[in-house]
Amino acid sequence: MTLTADGKTAKDSTLVERWLEDQRDWQRTAMAYLDSMVKNEDFLVHLGNAMRGSLLAGKPYPAAAPAGQPAAQEAPADDRLDQVLFALHQIQGQLTDLRLVLDDVRSSGKGSPSVRPATRRKAKATKRTKRTKRPAPTVARKARPGKPRSRG
Amino acid sequence: MSGDEEERELEALLELSRRGRAKLDRLHEVLTSPGHYGTGATPSAVVYRENKLRLLRLLDEQGKPRTGPPVLFVPAPVSRYFIVDLLPGRSFAGHVAAAGFDVFVIDFGTPTSEDRFADLAYYVDGLVRRSVRIVSELTGVPAINVVGYCLGGTLSLLYAALYPDTVARLVLLTTMVDGDVQGGIGWVAHRMGLAGESYDTPRLVPAAEVKSWFEMLAPGSNSLIGRVSDLWERLDDPAARLRDVRTMATWVDDVVPAPGRLLAEMYQKFGPGRNGLMTGIVQIGDRMVELAAVRMPVLSVSAEKDLIAPPEGVDAITKIVPHAEVLRLPGGHVGIVAGRAAAGLWQRTVDFLATSRGEAHGT
Repeated sequence: MTLTADGKTAKDSTLVERWLEDQRDWQRTAMAYLDSMVKNEDFLVHLGNAMRGSLLAGKPYPAAAPAGQPAAQEAPADDRLDQVLFALHQIQGQLTDLRLVLDDVRSSGKGSPSVRPATRRKAKATKRTKRTKRPAPTVARKARPGKPRSRG
Repeated sequence: MSGDEEERELEALLELSRRGRAKLDRLHEVLTSPGHYGTGATPSAVVYRENKLRLLRLLDEQGKPRTGPPVLFVPAPVSRYFIVDLLPGRSFAGHVAAAGFDVFVIDFGTPTSEDRFADLAYYVDGLVRRSVRIVSELTGVPAINVVGYCLGGTLSLLYAALYPDTVARLVLLTTMVDGDVQGGIGWVAHRMGLAGESYDTPRLVPAAEVKSWFEMLAPGSNSLIGRVSDLWERLDDPAARLRDVRTMATWVDDVVPAPGRLLAEMYQKFGPGRNGLMTGIVQIGDRMVELAAVRMPVLSVSAEKDLIAPPEGVDAITKIVPHAEVLRLPGGHVGIVAGRAAAGLWQRTVDFLATSRGEAHGT
């Protein structure tokens, strides 16, 4: 653009100044992004998610395994270790069951079940749910003999 | 091109540049500021752990448990738990707690490789049963209220049929019972190969695959271009609003891997063409569960625009639990629980839980 001494020149200068200011703002924006990339290792993950259109925080957007890497989706060839681990989780649950039964027995021995109705108050503007005796374990019946378990 | 036209074009370009930069500045602000991303909004204490499960007890403003009637929230094990405790002022569980109930929430956690062997019995007769027992033990109340969401509702329904005396009231949110109703996540998964999942040699179904089933329910809006375009438009919103959006996005996009054995079993028993729940008798592990045993008051809520659990498939519960009260709300699968209009459902749930037995249902 030609710089002259008329009013047009003044206007052009303003535009140029604003353009320069805009460039400086872009530099500040870019520096802010670069700064976050350096200082915050999660930022790149979050930025990557945003580039996929997601504001998911804390982890990468779930993506299918790249071609040629199907292993993550297949059942492992040797799953014995996982079976042992899962069995340990089940045992952990059974131990909790045992502990709960023992607590029940202990509280029964003290002449009072673990029910403490007197200490519970009503919810706001509510009538209290009727309480019943200690839960009966089940009303379900055993599986019918001879009926095969449905498996794939 | 005249000088004026040139100037107008440059002004327009400058404005375009300014708007784009403002969006990027806002994105940077949102990506670098803290918020409720992946954690519940209400203060809580972990009262029980088993495998990946954490049982949370919500605390009051003084950091103490409430002493009202206990309520256990059972979210779906294939997604994150915090949808029921999303944001301060926008928390289903928080609303129920504020009404005076002693609220517990199950966080099933993120399954890892060994959890692919987990089946229905492990969840229903294991994790859910023990969670209820722990709540009973901590509160001294033998029959507690249970609120199940989506697949968590299915687990809750089966649990309530197995142990009806331990459930005072049951709320089922968008819980599909009629697998033959077309549409929804079950049918999409069926079309995308769920039938091939093996019970005997299960795999851990990757999160991306589970997510792809959900994305197929609305393929247009879930395309990469659709998502990016939507986010770019949203970047005009205030940062505070975007942080709320980010919280919801963190729930929607953080799908967890699913135990293949659980999916295979549910498909074989409840999926299209099987529809075991509608027969009223289901085998869980080595036990037969009769849904007729569900005699406590039941509230089943469906969403008019639910793409994941079609309302017809949810409302069909009256065929197997005839006394169930059915409520259909405007909105979608997630919106009715955690959307801006969800407060109506929260209060309806509080009212239902607060009604003493026999008063409203004549039981």
